[in-house]
Amino acid sequence: MGTTSTIEIRRPQRWDQPFDPDMQDRDVQWLSSLSPFSEMDKAAFPASTPLDGVLRNDCRIRHVQPGEVIVREGDYGNSAFLVIAGSVRAVLGQLPPQSLGRTTAKQKGWLSAISALWKQPRFPEVRTVDQITPGGSSRVQQHGDTASIFLQDFDGIVTHQRTLQIGPGEMFGEVAAMYRAPRTATVVADSEATLVEVRWQGLRLLRRDRVLAEQLEQNYRTNWLMIHLRETPLFRFLPENCLQKVADATLLRSFGRLEWHSDYRRTRKLPPVEQIESEPLVAMEGHLPTDLLLIRSGFARVCSRHGEGHRTLAYLGKGHMFGLREIVHNTYRDTNQAPVTLQESLRAVGFVDTLHIPIEVVAEYVLPFIRRSELPDPISRDDQQARARHDIASQVPTGMLEFIVQERLNNGRQAMVIDLNACTRCDDCVKACATTHNGNPRFTRSGPANDGIQFTQACMHCADPVCMIGCPTGAISRHPETGTVSVHETICIGCGTCAASCPYENIQMRTMRDPQGRMYFDESAGLPIMKATKCDLCQSQPSGPACQNACPHDALVRIDLGNLEDLSDWISRRR
Amino acid sequence: MLHKRTRRTIALSITAIAVLIAAVATWLIRQRLGHASMATGWTLLASVGLLMLLGLRKKLVMLPILPVRVWTQFHIYTGLFALAIYLMHVPVVIASGFFESTLSLLFLSVAGSGLYGVWISRRGAKRLTAIAGEYRFDRFGWHRRTLADRAAEILTEVGQTGDVPVIAQFYRERLQHYFSTRPSLAYVLVPTSHRKRRLLTELGELDRYFATNVKQAAGRLAALIRTRDDLDYHYATQLRMRMWLAIHIALTVAMLVFIVVHVLMVLRFQGA
Ligand code: SF4
Ligand code: SF4
Repeated sequence: MGTTSTIEIRRPQRWDQPFDPDMQDRDVQWLSSLSPFSEMDKAAFPASTPLDGVLRNDCRIRHVQPGEVIVREGDYGNSAFLVIAGSVRAVLGQLPPQSLGRTTAKQKGWLSAISALWKQPRFPEVRTVDQITPGGSSRVQQHGDTASIFLQDFDGIVTHQRTLQIGPGEMFGEVAAMYRAPRTATVVADSEATLVEVRWQGLRLLRRDRVLAEQLEQNYRTNWLMIHLRETPLFRFLPENCLQKVADATLLRSFGRLEWHSDYRRTRKLPPVEQIESEPLVAMEGHLPTDLLLIRSGFARVCSRHGEGHRTLAYLGKGHMFGLREIVHNTYRDTNQAPVTLQESLRAVGFVDTLHIPIEVVAEYVLPFIRRSELPDPISRDDQQARARHDIASQVPTGMLEFIVQERLNNGRQAMVIDLNACTRCDDCVKACATTHNGNPRFTRSGPANDGIQFTQACMHCADPVCMIGCPTGAISRHPETGTVSVHETICIGCGTCAASCPYENIQMRTMRDPQGRMYFDESAGLPIMKATKCDLCQSQPSGPACQNACPHDALVRIDLGNLEDLSDWISRRR
Repeated sequence: MLHKRTRRTIALSITAIAVLIAAVATWLIRQRLGHASMATGWTLLASVGLLMLLGLRKKLVMLPILPVRVWTQFHIYTGLFALAIYLMHVPVVIASGFFESTLSLLFLSVAGSGLYGVWISRRGAKRLTAIAGEYRFDRFGWHRRTLADRAAEILTEVGQTGDVPVIAQFYRERLQHYFSTRPSLAYVLVPTSHRKRRLLTELGELDRYFATNVKQAAGRLAALIRTRDDLDYHYATQLRMRMWLAIHIALTVAMLVFIVVHVLMVLRFQGA
């Protein structure tokens, strides 16, 4: 029986969920009377997103106490801070992780690793008191309705470290917020201070004000762009003056929504064609290349038209380039040959940040400094390189590529992948995980599968670890060298923000017990003490990830799914 | 990293060379009228010792002493080597006398269960992947109950729409039992889709007595019958894969006891 009736509902609005629900009219008035908001050109803001709306919905006012940590080095943030009154201090050197409540897992020796076998507790999630409450040089303190970390010996730290004072009218944290990069310094309140915290969406709107936009862009160009270009392997032989020319000409662009994880549950259900078409187009197949594209953060899908749909050929992540082959071909082609157009399209998967270097600049300041052997071959009918590229794609079938992108698994740097044709479902991997975590396995052998390959639900230590955004105490953080994302339990307040943010549901909140099996309760609220638990890649074990070590059938690997060659290589090695 | 097939070829070749060397050595000793059985016996004992290391390695997963997959491969090829040495060691494949024949039988069953293990691990894994569904071993009971509840729900739903004696009777007599019991031992040993096909045929034959809404319910029940059969297939295959290991280990322990006695006897008589 068909039906033509419709249900009318209100379309969710941009500001349905304000950053701070307690923001009052008078707060907005007060903010708009302060610099730089008072100097902003209100007419530059469209009627649907006025400046007052940004202040009301995308900002919150924070009062901080001396010694309170505002952002930690290595944290992921999606907000920037503007100092209104008082001052804060950015610590330019590295603080000992313990002072931020982060206890680095000590690598166990063989003997202590083996002896843990005999010391397996009888109850799940057993901890001693000092394993779940901070001690030493940091403390978590409830401040207003948020829990904050306070540096214990703030004065001592300031005396012994290189620091930078940030005073009224100055902004910090905007680069990390705009480009979802880890914070590069820890910022601590110097005195009692008042800050305005602007979430990323608001910051993007505030950039409508020309002065602020120019200031932000200038900050980025001065502090970061050269660093990013220098990190690009292909540019390593560029002389400094050429690199500067490239930096001057580079355009910064973003596509898609930074908060892709909130759309993820919906978009992964879409059929591939619709999903691909819903992704913002960064560069279009068939158009002449105008810029060399460099992915700065996020992911992009390389696809080409195939019948009525699009065939995914690869996906790109941080540091990858797009359009180089076509640019090289056009630069070095015979003058009687017509230029080629882009062979593939590039689409933002969720969110992607790109640097665009105009082709004239590439031809003049980049190509002469790249070794010929590193340059892609020109495009020809019988195109060697295209074939090589398709060879990679052929080991990873298009269906699987699409599946990986659809499920956003390309985010995983240490994804657990199981060859189901070799896996006997013996669960030795899970048992090994339990053995190395005091009897508490950190994953279950389940998860989405495609073409005989399972992408198991275990923390993937993502390239873009969205679980880290919003952790109020910075308890979930990424190791600066290894990239391992781990939970520092002493300062985890059990709020569950990370578990709710992880799009792959790879974090579990667990109640903690003492060695006698008694549950810990919070003395003030009377509620059980919860902690976020997840795969820590067996950081403290001499063996590395026990799951991979324990599989008798060579069915399980931890693999970087952002790197298609790794996956392709592994697939081709299977029997 | 090498392709799995290449690795297999290399490992098989090395094993074959080792067997060949052992065979030539045994032949040479026999030519010189030496005790070849002593040499093969000690080689066999050493191989059994090496074979035991896998169990130990599996317990010590936290140590960086080559991954278990490498030890498993080593175990398989050492096992093949040991089997060849056993054949060189014994005068007849199954020795005579209670003690010696039991030891022979134990050795051959350990080797046989090992080979079965290699076969079932490969075939079982592929079959499990080919049959729809992915079930964890500890959750089979829950899956069975869920299917039984869904079948009962369908019956209740359809029962509310009118008089449904035919399907209700069929459910009582044939399906309720199918959904509520675990698969039999015979099914676990040799899973066949016989029961599923019979039930589907019987349900299909009743189709002409069903009203339209009952037909739809019967279709959903048929889907559940198929799912339950797939579930049972998964259960049987996973159980067999776990059982063979338990049996392999139990037989190994018994064999070790007999080996120790055998070695002691050999040493005693050699000394005498
Ligand atoms: S918890 Fe989730 S989002 Fe965070 S690193 Fe692990 S898989 Fe990625
Ligand atoms: S240890 Fe290997 S074979 Fe066993 S369940 Fe895990 S992945 Fe599968």
